[in-house]
Amino acid sequence: MKTRINIFLYILALGLMTACSKDDDPGNVDNIPGLGGDTWTPGPIDIWIRDSLTTPYNISAKYKWDQGELDFNRTLTPPKEEKIIPVMSAVKKVWINNYVAEAGELFMKQNCPKFFVLIGSGSYNSDGTVTIGTAEGGRRIVLYVMNDFRVKGMPGYVPFDSLNVKEMFHTIQHEFGHILQQKVLYNPDFKRITVGRYTSNWNNVSNTEANQDGFVTAYAMSAPDEDFVEMIAFMLTEGKRGFDALVDNISGTSPNGTTAAQAKDKLRQKETMIVNYYKDTWNINFYNLQARTRATIETMIR
Amino acid sequence: MKLTSIYTPLLLFMLVIGACRKDDDPVFDKTADERINEALSKYQAALIGAPDGWEARIVTGTGGIFNFHFQFKPNNRVSMYADIDTATAGNARESSYRLKALQQPSLIFDTYSYLHQLADPDGNVNGGDDGSGLVSDFEFSIDTVTTDSIKLTGRFNNTKVTLLRAAPQDAAAWQNGDWRNTLSFQYIANIQEYFKRLTFSGAAYDLRFNVLQRTITFVWADAGGTLRQFTSAYFYTREGLILETPFNDGTRTITRLTGAGWNNNTLRVTINGNTPGTIAGAISPIKNDLGAPRRWWETMASQQGYWITGNGFHVNGVDDAFRMRSIPNFYFAIYWPEYNTQDGVTYDVMGYVVVANNSLALQFGSAWEPPTFTANGRVIFRLLGTLGTVPASAVSIYNNINTQMEEPSGYYLVQTSTGSYDMVSAKDARAWITWEQ
Repeated sequence: MKTRINIFLYILALGLMTACSKDDDPGNVDNIPGLGGDTWTPGPIDIWIRDSLTTPYNISAKYKWDQGELDFNRTLTPPKEEKIIPVMSAVKKVWINNYVAEAGELFMKQNCPKFFVLIGSGSYNSDGTVTIGTAEGGRRIVLYVMNDFRVKGMPGYVPFDSLNVKEMFHTIQHEFGHILQQKVLYNPDFKRITVGRYTSNWNNVSNTEANQDGFVTAYAMSAPDEDFVEMIAFMLTEGKRGFDALVDNISGTSPNGTTAAQAKDKLRQKETMIVNYYKDTWNINFYNLQARTRATIETMIR
Repeated sequence: MKLTSIYTPLLLFMLVIGACRKDDDPVFDKTADERINEALSKYQAALIGAPDGWEARIVTGTGGIFNFHFQFKPNNRVSMYADIDTATAGNARESSYRLKALQQPSLIFDTYSYLHQLADPDGNVNGGDDGSGLVSDFEFSIDTVTTDSIKLTGRFNNTKVTLLRAAPQDAAAWQNGDWRNTLSFQYIANIQEYFKRLTFSGAAYDLRFNVLQRTITFVWADAGGTLRQFTSAYFYTREGLILETPFNDGTRTITRLTGAGWNNNTLRVTINGNTPGTIAGAISPIKNDLGAPRRWWETMASQQGYWITGNGFHVNGVDDAFRMRSIPNFYFAIYWPEYNTQDGVTYDVMGYVVVANNSLALQFGSAWEPPTFTANGRVIFRLLGTLGTVPASAVSIYNNINTQMEEPSGYYLVQTSTGSYDMVSAKDARAWITWEQ
């Protein structure tokens, strides 16, 4: 009985203590100062990004250094200011304008990734390779090596630079492919074309060996979704001629026993499914988009 | 039991009274956000408040000392000079900066500038290693701010920087090109001969520069004819190249070299601010190390080891002139004294190590007769044959390197550290290769 009374008293005490909370006025919530440093006087670059990307497509491009967007174990640098508008206007020409021309303004506004992070240097990996683009969540795309970005007509352009340019567009098309494929899944038969060949060990496979097994690149072997968007990215950046040349040049039997004829057939099946996916799902003529995109890229590298 | 029943209500009573204290005034009269923003705007005012800008000296993680001049403007813009090369010392470059509260109030140079050249992970930009560059910073936490100095610490590589308020003559020294003249020492790299000879008032020294670590080495023969050398770190001021440890050979002391013009592959210099001199190429060492070739060869012959070269021959100003590094899967090349014996000849091998099946393999190389060591301190190589099969794509590279090795005048060897030698063509000192352990 006594215990019960004690418990009652404790509860009473708790009630009294909490009852004492005084009225905390939150103050003027319209003016919370924040930690500062996230705004600056807008310059010509900020205005260009606002007018060309943010206002029409709700895309922002962060070019000022923010370590919080990046790996903390990589040595990286921000981009040179004189590279930002050339890179982003090339992105606009090759990627946005061509999709708008084929699929319409609304399609692009609804589906494009909204956030670009621009980095001047490459991202050096411990195995000696350099990462030149990453993306996550269909929203954020990080472009590296902007300080080396050169297209035809810029001082110091050498043909080797065309690799960097193509690689950059490959990254963007790859990530945009993910967004489309995550919104509406492709025909699951696609996964069965090269079933059993998907592997986490793809980074030890050369592109040539991957081609012999019916994959467009080695990275396409990592998963069916990656396979699907690597096909899109390769076909758009290299054009129909580039893709046909890749397929026609496959020779020999792969270490897994796939013959050249089988590999060619698999790649052609994948191509057909992608063309149909674009037609049926998004009402886009893929071959027209491919021809436009490749033509724009060629103006920059040839 | 009884005690408990007395104390429990008492304790509760105390709690109830104590819980009602309403006095919770904050220790500070402003919120943390407000105080941080105040500190940032105070720092910003200090940065902008120096009419002639700020001078700074940066010591990178690789040991190089670099000078900078910053002029901060109110609209997040900063213009700067740096003593990296004649371009950065002669032309102001504008980029952006901002102050931001990270874990501490921080100064971020947030678009590319001369400062970022030191930190750039691309080794082609600054001569550092790919992936880390010169190990430097462009994002700094602010440690202390006074009117005359601002102390900063790099947030990534811990680079310590002190900004010192510049006087009008400091800013003028950058603007009117004093610093650019100082940086004319970079032209020494254009001298194609291996030996760089400093000559002044009857004295002569061979110089070796390590531009990456900013060290200078003097080589000379002392009164008894013994070869001596001395190395010191150096840094630039607007009055020239200053030796951290002054050079002294017993008769002469050198503390400072000032560039006075580059012309005809010769750099005119002023020593210690008063004595004119020149730095020019020389085709033979100031005093040849007569025992060096045999010492180089026997170091490895005695331990059945080999010397390594990663870059091959530098010829007429071109690194890896024979494109050795373009051999498929090339890793490094070796010189292996007394590799094996055939028909009574114990031969040396210059071998090309490649990556095959994820491991290193010596698949082909050239065999050399036991080298000739001449009385005047040279080594001469004669080709004996080929080991293994040279890949078709490497045949011309392989033949060109052999032709260079067979240089009839032979080679000098210059010992640059306990475990490294430079092998320099005795014909004209315009071809050399570095051997390391």
